[in-house]
Amino acid sequence: MTIAQDLRSNSHPMIRYGLAVVLVSLALCLSLSLRVPFGNPFWFFFPVAVIASTWFGGRGPGWVGVFLSTLAVLYYFIPPIRSFAVKPPDVPFFLTFVACELIANWIISWQREAEASLRRARDELEVRVGERTAELKSANDALLNQMAEQKRTEEALQRTRTELARVVRITTMGELTASIAHEVNQPLAAVVANADACVAWLGLESPDLVEARAAARRAIQGATRASEVITRIRSLINKAAPERTPVHLNEIIEETVALVDRQASRNNVAVSLDLMPHLHIVGGDRIQLQQVILNLMINGVEAMSDVSGRQRRLLIRTGMRGADEVIVCVEDTGIGVSTEDIGRLFEPFFTTRSQGIGMGLPISRSIIEAHGGRLWAESTPGQGSVFQFTLPTGGDSAS
Amino acid sequence: MREPDPIVFVIDDDELIRDGIKSLLRSIGLRAVSFKSAQDFLLEKRIDAPACLVLDVRMPGLNGLDLQRKLREAQIYLPIIFITGHGDIPMTVRAIKEGATEFLTKPVRGQDLLDAVQKAIALDRERRKKRAELTETRKHFDSLTPREKEVLNLVVAGLLNKQIADQLGTSELTIKTHRARVMEKTRAESLAHLVRMAEALRNAKVE
Repeated sequence: MTIAQDLRSNSHPMIRYGLAVVLVSLALCLSLSLRVPFGNPFWFFFPVAVIASTWFGGRGPGWVGVFLSTLAVLYYFIPPIRSFAVKPPDVPFFLTFVACELIANWIISWQREAEASLRRARDELEVRVGERTAELKSANDALLNQMAEQKRTEEALQRTRTELARVVRITTMGELTASIAHEVNQPLAAVVANADACVAWLGLESPDLVEARAAARRAIQGATRASEVITRIRSLINKAAPERTPVHLNEIIEETVALVDRQASRNNVAVSLDLMPHLHIVGGDRIQLQQVILNLMINGVEAMSDVSGRQRRLLIRTGMRGADEVIVCVEDTGIGVSTEDIGRLFEPFFTTRSQGIGMGLPISRSIIEAHGGRLWAESTPGQGSVFQFTLPTGGDSAS
Repeated sequence: MREPDPIVFVIDDDELIRDGIKSLLRSIGLRAVSFKSAQDFLLEKRIDAPACLVLDVRMPGLNGLDLQRKLREAQIYLPIIFITGHGDIPMTVRAIKEGATEFLTKPVRGQDLLDAVQKAIALDRERRKKRAELTETRKHFDSLTPREKEVLNLVVAGLLNKQIADQLGTSELTIKTHRARVMEKTRAESLAHLVRMAEALRNAKVE
């Protein structure tokens, strides 16, 4: 910004008008003092004062300059001197002077207006550019937020999915256990009620043997029913076994890895495979075997969730054991299992996890054994565990 | 008048349990009637005797809690002993909130059940007595003339004979006569007794 602009835009009107008065007074002083050496009326400073007033003070002070200059020239320089009267011969000169002043004022004002409007346009443009930039920036921020939000949602979704899979596993087992518990508890309640009644009838002063016998019979019926429930459950488990088709274990393992992949990477577990090419085909229930492998893998991943300070690695190996047995090993670098716990791993309802229900391994073992194989565990506490199972090769499935 | 023998209603969908509980109750000389469902029980004609309900929470059709609610709606206030399997905690809470007398877990120990039944019958006997008293009191109060009822209300409100006379625009002597009639008709032994009976009736109406 120039000084002129500064003055015009920032100064108080008093200062701007005052400036006009000062400039005209200065011009008057100079003109009066120079009148003697030059002899002629020396009025050239007045247009300069008007120009300067307009330039620095604006249009209003410019008019004040014109007015004051005109009065000064009229009073001091146009005969009769020291009077506001004008003699006819001096009228052209006076009018020319006023015209000069007006033209000077008009030109400067016009120039100033042009400059001001240019400045306004520029300011406006700056504001608009600023606004537009801000808009772009906020749009950009929103976009970034949206992306972050989407990422978070995706992560949450993935967590939910894993959680869901786990919950489904647990609730299915939980429901099963609850319904078994109810099925067995019901006849047991009957046994207790009737046995109590039987004792009561026998405890009377004159025992009522007919009632006591009836109650005892019902107690027996109840007990029989309880044992039937258990037989039914057992046969349900056994019945599931006969489904036998040729199964490529390597294929199942690869499929299952895809299933646990997300959970593994979320837990920073590196899953690696060491699968023997052209592994023998085994005979069995594909779904059940996949369940076993899935179960072992998830156990492995979960065993490593508290591990820090060493690599979390899940290795699945397949190979031959002798000529007619396939072996599958699932190795983890988890917390391991203590020597006293390892014997109990396959007992129902034994669990080392706060949220486990302790049915995964017993079920897995019963599946493998139903397939004519073996499932066992070895572990070094603090280093990790190996769960492995063997299955007889295809020769068996052909039979 | 001799009170009728108490009776226990046993509702369980499991025949063996039903018969076992019934047999146990009969062995100590209690009358027991069993039903295989809540619906069957609701169809049964009501028996006028001290009674309680032994009810399985988990039943097909109308379950124990539904029956409890239905009975309340019908203003049948029978003490209920619930028998529940495992994992019915929310149900238990609901039943207790609705006023179950006792909660026993399956399998129920015989002695626990008998104790609970005795307690429930004692409770019902108590309630029946109160109800009978209340019915009697109501009958007496209903026999009052409208004028006597007016006097009764003012007496119970704690006004003196003179004040009542002023308010009803009659003589103190008349009020005294009315008052004596009220005491006689309601079998009140004292003013305090009269007030208690009036209160009991009012509360029963609110309920």
